[in-house]
Amino acid sequence: MQPVYDPRGVVGAEKKAIAARVRSLDGLRLGILDNTKWNANKLLRELRDQLQAAHALAAVHYYRKESFSRFADPALVEKIRAENDIVVTAIGD
Amino acid sequence: MSAQLAAAPAPAASVPEGTDLVEWYYEHGYSDGLPVVPPTPAKVATMLEALGGEPQKVEARVPPRWGGLTREVLAINMAMAGCKPEYAPVVRAAMLALCEPAFNLNGVQATTHMACPLLVVNGPIAGKIGMNAGCNAFGSGNRANATIGRAIRLILLNVGGGWPGDLDKSTLGHPGKYTYAVAENEALGLLAPYHVEKGFKAEDSTVFVMAAEPPHSVTNHVANDPQGILDSICSAMSTIAHNNAVSSGHCAVVLGPEHATTIAKHGWKRHDIRNYLWMNSGNLFREIAFEHRYGKVYNRSLPVWYKRELDSRIPIVPSAENIHLFVIGGEAGRFSAFIPGWGHMSSPVLREIGGGAGPEQSGPRCVDGTCYL
Amino acid sequence: MHDGISLESLGVPTAVIVTTTFLHEARVQREALGMAGIVPVVIDHPLSSISEEEIRARATQALAQAIGVWQGKQPDPA
Repeated sequence: MQPVYDPRGVVGAEKKAIAARVRSLDGLRLGILDNTKWNANKLLRELRDQLQAAHALAAVHYYRKESFSRFADPALVEKIRAENDIVVTAIGD
Repeated sequence: MSAQLAAAPAPAASVPEGTDLVEWYYEHGYSDGLPVVPPTPAKVATMLEALGGEPQKVEARVPPRWGGLTREVLAINMAMAGCKPEYAPVVRAAMLALCEPAFNLNGVQATTHMACPLLVVNGPIAGKIGMNAGCNAFGSGNRANATIGRAIRLILLNVGGGWPGDLDKSTLGHPGKYTYAVAENEALGLLAPYHVEKGFKAEDSTVFVMAAEPPHSVTNHVANDPQGILDSICSAMSTIAHNNAVSSGHCAVVLGPEHATTIAKHGWKRHDIRNYLWMNSGNLFREIAFEHRYGKVYNRSLPVWYKRELDSRIPIVPSAENIHLFVIGGEAGRFSAFIPGWGHMSSPVLREIGGGAGPEQSGPRCVDGTCYL
Repeated sequence: MHDGISLESLGVPTAVIVTTTFLHEARVQREALGMAGIVPVVIDHPLSSISEEEIRARATQALAQAIGVWQGKQPDPA
């Protein structure tokens, strides 16, 4: 017999659960995280307008990432967490 | 002999004698397109020994798959690439540099742009392991250049999961995605070495990695002064076509030795060259904006401090410090090269081989042009 | 995906909008980062180089999905 090797290494991350869901959007604070890729801002503004038209959001906060390709700065992530109940981000393309 | 085999990590599986192993690795999707060298227990063991043992030690997690690059996995990929064990410190240092957050390997692996990691090695290790910094350095024919670059690519594929059409969305790719590893030609002594300008000692060995397009050749057989030669390089830089023009960031310039000799003979130093290139290259904003005929262009990828008037000069990169200058190549031929980068989304990383925190910050050594090297 | 997973793990339901060509990568990323349960919002590719009207249509495409993600009613995209 001849040995063969696996060059891939193991993917191992501790499993994380998603956050608890919400029942209604009314009275919630919405955070919008724009990763500054082309047209993300236009998409998100349109979406915000459509959401505000249909739901009684308590507040809307808009944030922009410094660079579309890097992960958001941890301080920004914490700020978004503190100031919002639900978040929408764009765009992965 | 038996002690050496006892230290070898366990293989993933065993296949019958007579199995075509080259085909086996192809069939399992572990190849970059070229036949790989089937690792043997002896090869993996000697590679691991060169890495310092500890096969399960995780050197890095490679995006976008975030596979664990253990020393054992690093050894396997190096063996597949055809590396010699003495290349191990360079390949490891390169992978550590690529996995530093500033490089943003996740983005480089996934982008639709063709950029891929370029590796330039400085210091004594390059010569010791037989890297080519001279004639045809970016071409083929040298085992160290070829297999070091290849090992990096195999890791980015196998461990990082950056398979074309899968997680690697590059529209076109480029040949550097087979191998793209060179050394600076320090032996000619024309300019101070790159790593010395950045604050390392000449006797330190370093890796420099940058997300890069292929080299764009710059021909100049006419000028016999620095300005003429550098004007040709400025011409190659001053186009809206490469990614720096619209995405800012970092780029590299390679001086061929004939050009570097002329420039050095006139007393110009690295600082002078980089600043001349920065000052005398660029595009007009109207060219980048296509005269606003597709709608008003602002371009948020460019620094806010660039003026967006139609006739504003838009630099290729935001400062001369973002031009990474190397002397590479053979002694005959009046050619240099411009190597565009990916953009502000990735920063090059310079890292010492063999540990060490980085260049000393104090003392009489030149750092970032203070002694105008 | 990475930012969305960070926010979800901090307790904030997050609708991550991706285009169809990015869906595969989104799935790989959520597995690799340990949050298989995060559901992306998928809109047609491309988003760059389309008209204002088409952007509006993409937003409408995302709207119902995003609300579904926040309420836990959005199935994982096929």
